Amino acid sequence: MSENESKPASESTDARIRAASRKQTRRSFTLATLAAAAGYGLYRWIEAGPKIGMQPAALRRAIQANAAVSRALFDERALAPTYPVERAEHLRINGLIGLKQALLPESWRLQVVGVANEASFPQYVPDVTTWKYAYSRGSESTEGDHFTFIPPEPVINRLDPILASSQDHSHPYEEAGQSKSALPAGTPGLLLTLDDIAKLPTHELVTEFKCVEGWSQIAQWSGIRMLDFLEAFPPAKKPDGTLPRYVYMETPNGDYYVGYDMAVCRHPQTLLVTHMAGQPLTQLHGAPLRLHTPTKYGYKQIKRIGLIAYTDTKPDDYWTKLGYDWYAGL
Amino acid sequence: MSDLPPERISTAATLRLERKHPLAIRWMHWINFPILFLMILSGIRIYWNDSDNDHLHAHAVYRVGVGSFTLFRIFPESVWNALHIPWHVTEGMGDHFFFMWLFAINGVAYVLFTLLSGEWRFLVPTRGSLREAGRILFPSITLRKASPSIHKYNGAQRIAYSTVILMGAGSLITGLAIYKPTQLHYVTTLLGGYEWARWEHFWLTIGFCLFFLVHVAQVAFAGWNNFQSMISGVEIRPVGEPSIEQERRSWR
Repeated sequence: MSENESKPASESTDARIRAASRKQTRRSFTLATLAAAAGYGLYRWIEAGPKIGMQPAALRRAIQANAAVSRALFDERALAPTYPVERAEHLRINGLIGLKQALLPESWRLQVVGVANEASFPQYVPDVTTWKYAYSRGSESTEGDHFTFIPPEPVINRLDPILASSQDHSHPYEEAGQSKSALPAGTPGLLLTLDDIAKLPTHELVTEFKCVEGWSQIAQWSGIRMLDFLEAFPPAKKPDGTLPRYVYMETPNGDYYVGYDMAVCRHPQTLLVTHMAGQPLTQLHGAPLRLHTPTKYGYKQIKRIGLIAYTDTKPDDYWTKLGYDWYAGL
Repeated sequence: MSDLPPERISTAATLRLERKHPLAIRWMHWINFPILFLMILSGIRIYWNDSDNDHLHAHAVYRVGVGSFTLFRIFPESVWNALHIPWHVTEGMGDHFFFMWLFAINGVAYVLFTLLSGEWRFLVPTRGSLREAGRILFPSITLRKASPSIHKYNGAQRIAYSTVILMGAGSLITGLAIYKPTQLHYVTTLLGGYEWARWEHFWLTIGFCLFFLVHVAQVAFAGWNNFQSMISGVEIRPVGEPSIEQERRSWR
């Protein structure tokens, strides 16, 4: 820029200052634009990348890293707060996957796979997968997408809207499909009756149930501790003498399935629930046996358990396939 | 970014270049902007899941109503749809639980930098800040006209910028209380329990949105010279005005 000698010195100096400022601004804005473009590009690259369980791979790895941090920091040691029983509510019914037909209670058995010295138990069978569960409505041919269940008991908590929404296919609702951890035919194990389980000491718990959707309710649970179950039916140790790291559970029809760390099952507040609010479980709450653990969201608290398998392979998990966290630790 | 030390400018000048914002603060401010945006967007996508089936979700935070009767919603169905919120819960969670780290690291770095560099002296409200803020807010909403601008920031700015940092800390703490309500149940209980921690977390989000609106309006009123200084670091100032750089030197 040219300087005009006839103007006062301050004016030309001011002009120089303005020019210096403009130069600085131009340079900074160029850098800022590049940084913004790089940031946006990085974000798009993450979002557009290959997916693992319906999450971009980078974000799935972040979710798993978060779980590793949680395990390292907390290791499921803390006990959830408990509440006086007066504060317990009737738990909302939410999620009917695996429950769409009424199970005949007398046909229920709990398949347990991976127990130490399983052949020495009177409940041992060489193939648990041949056990046939019976349903009060329809046969295997109607076991499909259609909701055929009619509640056998008065339904608490405004059931109708849930039934309506579960049939509303305008929502982009996805199904996770078959479990990769389903038992192959010929798997030996135990077939337990409810009486076998009821021999274990009963525990009562009033805790806050939390759904990943955001809502929470205080509920009263009773049943046996998973910890006691693991003592009564201990997992077989691996050749190196350590315990398997995971527990896998699924509904009798295999439609809903959940994987757990062994540590969660050893948590003293993890219950195999038989009663809620002092009453035996209803069908839609997972009769005759469901899981409750205040260390996990509700989607990890499986209803109507048909199988408990100890395994060292990270088990498949229904909602993990649909983008949710396998760990889901609270 | 280079800078011109004010002392090298001729004394005859009526203007000078003021080193207003340190490089670190500019980077952290602008990194925070898209991250906070993503945290809010992903957070709303997660929150949406609780506003679905409203008659069942008595605890819905952004809903005002009694029982099944809803008087008012901050986010009615039309807003959800316009923002493409519904059915993006898992995308929301994927983003939220990744960018939370960047939000936290950037925020902690900012606080550490302001503490170690002494810049906190410009930000923390002083005894006169409240009165000054009142003078600024009531006679006129613009910064330029009312700002006595003896310091880097006037009283209203000191209060606003300090508050928004505390809000960020509040979002981290209430977020942790919701994220790990069993393992960190002492924190959750101190915040009034799980439902209250959610309420606090979500209303802090509304607070950020309101801060953003006011902040952008104020920056627009304050003009280009002020805005560009948040990117370039330097601002043109009349020679007679007190020097920020001089004040920095007085701390040492």
